[in-house]
Order: sequence, then structure tokens, then C-alpha cells
Amino acid sequence: MDSLIVNVLTKNQDVLLKKWLIELEKTDITGHVKFAATPNMLRDTNEEFFRLLLKHISYNDISQDGSIERFFDQLLQTGLPVNYMTQGLQGMRRVILDVLLDDGSIDKEKAIELYNDIDRWLDPILNRVVENSAQIWEKTISIQKSALLELTAPLIPVFQQVSVMPLIGTIDTERAKLIMENLLDGVIKYRSEVVLIDITGVPVVDTMVAHHIIQAADAVRLLGSTCILVGIRPEIAQTIVSLGIDLTAFPTKSTLQKGMERALEITSQEIVRKED
Amino acid sequence: MRIPILKLHEYLLITIQVELDDQTALQFQEDLLSKIHDTGAKGVVIDLTSVDMIDSFIAKVLGDVVRMSKLMGAQVVLTGIQPAVAITLIDLGISMREVPTALDLEQGLDKLRLELEG
Repeated sequence: MDSLIVNVLTKNQDVLLKKWLIELEKTDITGHVKFAATPNMLRDTNEEFFRLLLKHISYNDISQDGSIERFFDQLLQTGLPVNYMTQGLQGMRRVILDVLLDDGSIDKEKAIELYNDIDRWLDPILNRVVENSAQIWEKTISIQKSALLELTAPLIPVFQQVSVMPLIGTIDTERAKLIMENLLDGVIKYRSEVVLIDITGVPVVDTMVAHHIIQAADAVRLLGSTCILVGIRPEIAQTIVSLGIDLTAFPTKSTLQKGMERALEITSQEIVRKED
Repeated sequence: MRIPILKLHEYLLITIQVELDDQTALQFQEDLLSKIHDTGAKGVVIDLTSVDMIDSFIAKVLGDVVRMSKLMGAQVVLTGIQPAVAITLIDLGISMREVPTALDLEQGLDKLRLELEG
């Protein structure tokens, strides 16, 4: 950055700040409920950002010590909308140009060159802000996604050779694959002779969901164990029959309890009430 | 490449420990049927624990072997199918519903005994 510009900017930093704050007030962030900050906090943040920018004007560098990044990371975590930050940076560009031209020590012919300079100087910051926020979102989404996947399909060994897999929530193709893998690995791991798949928590059973369940049951049978589908609610039974889905290939029961009784029967086990 | 077939009382035991190619599978089909004929075995256990891959042709041959053996009076049980193999088969649309299966050799023999006695 031209030393002349730096001088002018440092000299006029009060005017610069005032103009910039006026510019910022035009940005409306009331629509973003997530950012719960007092006007004071917002003003402090603005002023801190302004100081940081000025500091970088004199060093002509925005990325070396990482203070700008840290600043924006903090802001993003507080939930300040990204459009407010980009507005702020764009506003800063306009204000800097205004102040430089008003000062008079720079002739107008230099203005275009000046404009390019400022562009080149502010754009990397802008890019970095957008990039960082996008990264933060992506990270959050992937964490939530994997957390959701982990929760989806546990196989729980209940008795010797009997396991239960409770399914909750809608089943899509990706989840069905995971369910099948967990199911088969669990069957091998626990040496389950009977697996009960409980669909009490599955809100809708359409042809696709039924197809996935049938596939899983077939795969379990290939491994050498039996699959019993339990938790079939009346409305699910109605949907299955009216859709013409054929579930006769493997046993079904209305409740987990009934399924468990059948499972114990298959594995030749019995629950006996203790005397006295 | 030939797959060894062991006789245990009235059962035949086969553990497939090689990669099954088409030729080996067909050879195995012939060997098993003549062995059933020679020994008069009532039950056959085919253990697939160390098989990592089954394609549609091998699956067909296995299904055929089960049906052919049944015609000759021997009940066949497939044991130890790996999860990955099961998923591949299901993805290929092969469910082998008519073939009895068991988790391992032990349960396979139990299953045979149950079916032959009951």
C-alpha cells in the first residue's frame, strides 16, 4: 500500500470510522434472530474490526499473523450473519475511497489506480470471511450427519442367540445400507440365530422401505439366521397390503413381545418364573 | 483345482477355501454328486466361511447343487456366508430362498440333524 494513502488514512481515521458506522447502520440484521447482541456489543465489535483493519493498512498484510482470521472466527461463532460482515467490508471500501478523495492530497487521476489498490487489498479479506464461514457450516453439517448415522441402527443382543434392532425414523437408501451392514455384522458378532427388526418407530412403510427390509431379511437368512419383523401397527399392515407388498417370505408379529416369544421358541429357550 | 469332500458318518463336509472360479464350481458339482452316490450320504454341509466373493454364476451352481443333492436324497445346508458376500448376492437380486443356511458348521450340523429326524 502506498505510504501516502496510509498517512492520509491514519490522519483521518476518526472521520473514516464515523462514516463507516453510518454506512453500517444501513445494514439490516434484525431478521436474524440467532444473533442476540446488544447494540453496545455490536458497536464494540465494529470498532474492534476497524482497529484491526487500520493496523493491517499500515502493515499492508492481512493474513500473516492470523488476527483477522481469529476475529472473524469468533464473530461467526457468536452467530453474526455473514451478510453483515460482507456489507461491512464493502462499506469500508466505499468509505476509504471517499475519505481519500475528500482529503485533497491525492489528485483525481490517481483515483482509478487507487480504487484498484483498495480492491486488491480488501478482496482477500472478503474471500477469507466467506470461505471460513462456509467451512464452519460444512463442518457442522458433517458432524451432525455422522452423529445421526451413529444413532440410527444399533443391534442389541437380548438373549443368547436373540438380538433386536429397533428402527426409528424414516428409512432412505443410504440408511438402509447402513442398517443392513450393522445387522449382518451384528449377527456374526453375537452369533444370533434370530434377529427381531422392530419397526414401531418407522412412521411410513412404503414400497421402498419394504423393499429395503425384505433385502435385509434375505441377507440375514443367507447368513443362516432368521429375521422376524415386529412392531407392525394396524395402519402399517393396511399400507403393506394395499400396496401389494409381499412379506410372506418371513415371519411378522405385531409386537416385540410376541416376536420375542417366537424367537425363544425357535432357539428352544424358555423364560420360567422362579418358584417362591 | 479340486475341492476336497470329507465324509463324517452319514454326512459330507466341504469347506471351500479357494477362490471359486466357474470351472472349479462345475467340477465340485460333479464330484459332490458322485460322492453322494458312492456314500449314500443323507446330509451335506458346505462351509463358505473363507469365501470372499460369490458371483451370480457360482450362486446359481450352488443353488443347483442343493436341488440336485435333494433329488438324490441328501439335504444340503450352506454355512458361514460372510456379510459382504450376502450383501453382494442381495444386490445381484439373488436371495436363494430355497437354500437352507446356518451361521457356522456346528449349527449347520444341528440343522441337518433336526431336518433329517423331524
